[in-house]
Amino acid sequence: MGRPAARSAAPRASAARSPRKRVKRARKALAGTVFIFLGRGLAAAAKHDSRVRGEVASWPEGTVVAIGVAPDGPRMTVRKAGGRLEYLGGASDLKPTLHVEFKSVDVALPVLIGMKGMLQAFAEHRATLKGDIALGMSLVRSLHIVEGYLFPDVIGIKVLPRAPHREVSRFRVYASTLTSRTAALEGEAR
Amino acid sequence: MIPAFYEFRSATKIVSGDNAIEHIAFELENLGVTRPLVITDKRILELGLTRIVLDALADSELGGAVVFDDVPVDSSVEVANSVARLFKDRACDGIVAVGGGSVLDTAKGAAIVLATGGADLMELRGSEVLSNMPMPPLVAVPTTAGTGSEVTGAAVIKDTARDVKMAFVSFDLQPHVAVLDPRMTLGLPPRITASTAMDAVVHSVEAASCRQRNPLSDAYAYSAVTLVRENLDTVLSDGRDKRARLAMANAALMAGIAFSNSMVGVVHAIGHACGGVAHVAHGDAMAILLPYCMEFNLDVCADVYAEILLPLAGADVYAATAPADRPAAAVAAVRAMLATCADRGGLPLRLGEVGVSVSQIADIARVALGDGSISFNPKDVSLQDAEAILKAAL
Repeated sequence: MGRPAARSAAPRASAARSPRKRVKRARKALAGTVFIFLGRGLAAAAKHDSRVRGEVASWPEGTVVAIGVAPDGPRMTVRKAGGRLEYLGGASDLKPTLHVEFKSVDVALPVLIGMKGMLQAFAEHRATLKGDIALGMSLVRSLHIVEGYLFPDVIGIKVLPRAPHREVSRFRVYASTLTSRTAALEGEAR
Repeated sequence: MIPAFYEFRSATKIVSGDNAIEHIAFELENLGVTRPLVITDKRILELGLTRIVLDALADSELGGAVVFDDVPVDSSVEVANSVARLFKDRACDGIVAVGGGSVLDTAKGAAIVLATGGADLMELRGSEVLSNMPMPPLVAVPTTAGTGSEVTGAAVIKDTARDVKMAFVSFDLQPHVAVLDPRMTLGLPPRITASTAMDAVVHSVEAASCRQRNPLSDAYAYSAVTLVRENLDTVLSDGRDKRARLAMANAALMAGIAFSNSMVGVVHAIGHACGGVAHVAHGDAMAILLPYCMEFNLDVCADVYAEILLPLAGADVYAATAPADRPAAAVAAVRAMLATCADRGGLPLRLGEVGVSVSQIADIARVALGDGSISFNPKDVSLQDAEAILKAAL
């Protein structure tokens, strides 16, 4: 009795697995796309917004910051070089000075698409932080400002600790985000 | 209040009460330890507290222990490395830490060094980086009732060569056993008694109001505050009262479990910065800042503060206070507790009394914003907010 049941269950399990994998792939692709905007947006805001520029000024030269998804999901990397912040894409081989890693794509996405605040995600242990915690706080403050530019206000008001405040026009940061290039050899987010 | 998501871990076995020290040998044997390393400092040794532990170990089948008694006031990576070397050289297989926060942090630092095989601790800084590492068995015997370090998963260790204070946060840093014996705190002077008691209250209030507040941490936080309220007068007037001392030790421990899981906020962020910039003692900074930070958080924490009025002030006051007035009454209850500590224990109530000057406020505020605790505060704290709190508390 048991064997036929097992045989008939296998195709069903396989069929069920396949859509789930597709959904997972789609989620990773979406997270990867958001990382591109977030990484480029961070570099753009560091250029145009004095608050982000001030935060980045406090980072040691050569600082490499990576934000990604465990175990092998997409990620974004930025580096401070020559006093400026440059976006390195996702597949950088550089060892991060600060590495924020979400525990899975399912817990990363709500943060990336503006359904949950980053601080709440940290409080819920949704991500690990490897490196200097003070640098991590500076990164989070910077990302809040970036999200104020990238997210519509209706989302920003919900997930940011304070109502978004923009020093320069949203268009300027958007334009810089869309037209900027990946700085180093590495490609875009995987 | 059920949060949408939370994590909670309290893995430490608690051994509390009369002759609890005499249970350490049994607990070590349970953990498979045959040669313990006792870590302590010179002051604790001179007070005779380490001797109580060593005698208990000598009387057991373990037959004794190796002792490291050179822990400085601020734990450092060099000391953690020295402890780890001694541990290996003398073929020890477990740690008994007897002391306050520095001793316990040093023990945790040495445990990290031993678990990682001597890796550069700078590489292990952060939150939840230390995982799946075989920490040596650690038995914590606190000699103050405040830090809660005997049950927390956090350690701060200074890299003196690079002048960096390294913070480590991981559930795996929670000690295996915490031993609360009233003999360890009977001799505490009123000043330290007051300061450490308020430290436990701060841990509880922040745990009950921070972002990762959850029903389990609430239970520990509220019980801790109740124990402080019920026993503070007694320990300040009669420091030799064993039951009251044990209650305060339990309060500190429970507050430690609470904040280790729901974290702390703006009081700790600014308090740590006061320590870093103006060398204010941790307990003093915590106590002084608490009411000002509660006032800052009041608009987003009214419900929490209304609830915590019950353990802070007792059932009679709670029942006699109109619901709308309870949040402010909680702040007033904290101020009343502080006034008792000031009158009976000499606790300072203003930052100016502990050496903070106006010129240091900007620096302290800037450093506070880089403290990890700030991210768990229920309300966003700007540089101007931190400066305003400091000015009010000056």
